[in-house]
Amino acid sequence: MNGNAGATGVAQSRERVRDWFARTAPLIEWSEMDSPLGVLYLAQSGAGLCRLTFGGTEDDFRALLPSRAKSRRNPDALGDARKQLDAYFGGSQVRFRLPVDLGEMTCFQQRVLRRASAIPAGELRSYGELARDVGSPRASRAVGQALGRNPVPIVVPCHRVVGSDGKLTGYSGARGIESKRWLLRFEGAPLGEAPHG
Amino acid sequence: MVRFETLIELHHDELYFYLRRMTHGSTSDAADLMQETWLRAWQAFDRLRPGSNPRAWLYRIATNCALNALRNGQREFPWQEERELPDEGRLPHEQLEHRENLEMVLKEIGLLPPRQRAAVLLRYGHELRYPELASVLRCSEESARANVSLGVRRLRRELEEK
Repeated sequence: MNGNAGATGVAQSRERVRDWFARTAPLIEWSEMDSPLGVLYLAQSGAGLCRLTFGGTEDDFRALLPSRAKSRRNPDALGDARKQLDAYFGGSQVRFRLPVDLGEMTCFQQRVLRRASAIPAGELRSYGELARDVGSPRASRAVGQALGRNPVPIVVPCHRVVGSDGKLTGYSGARGIESKRWLLRFEGAPLGEAPHG
Repeated sequence: MVRFETLIELHHDELYFYLRRMTHGSTSDAADLMQETWLRAWQAFDRLRPGSNPRAWLYRIATNCALNALRNGQREFPWQEERELPDEGRLPHEQLEHRENLEMVLKEIGLLPPRQRAAVLLRYGHELRYPELASVLRCSEESARANVSLGVRRLRRELEEK
């Protein structure tokens, strides 16, 4: 960095800071795709798919990316995720096989989401059942909170978890219960019936 | 929660110009202090609370870096001519006069004691409100006002004598 850069001093400093940041911060690549639920925004870290949103703007999506990360739009990234999501929305009974990065969640929340990932399409589980499955039978409420923080809805199918009477009690994805109902109908789940598993 | 890369895009330039004025117009010292500022911000980023004012937080870090460097006497900060002064919409002879006047004011600001210099630059150059200024200088709002007022008075006196 020289001292007589004059009018380019600020530009040089900006580039130097950007270079430093690119070397320091973890890289998140993101991409988007069309779906029946509107544009899906997808992001991946080195560990896997770390964010999926729909029903919002690009800015809404980027604001949710890890705050220390350097984000880069890369239309060629996330090929596997886009292919599997296309197959899912095309009607195949896809069981998503993607590495998922849940690194920003607690161990308990990760256990809940991993367990939710195992619920087959077309089936429902209750919060209580999921709480029992993760070894904390009294933690239905905490299970609900963990599902509410799911960073990759659809791929981790938290929409397949409903109240013990079959009621759709909440959904963290865009348009809330309306989207949850759409996804469950689309998968042919027995809506309105009490879940069993 | 605000993202770190957004902070760089939004605030790098204004912080750089602030540090340059704090270091008598030196581009190399400003760039070094700028690096130090972002490094410290990166290390402290987890302590930035959601809903707090990230701009004032960054100015506080930059101010600490600059005041430490000045206090430690690590750098002499000789005065360097400003080359990035705004000239928009002025005729060439007006530009010259404007630059000369601005240069003189900035030079005098550079001669203020460091805390007063920071206070005057932040209040009038970067338009921080007094509560923000108090948070940057880690003092009461009254003390922030006193620093600005002392600095302005001294500046006026020096300029009147010229």
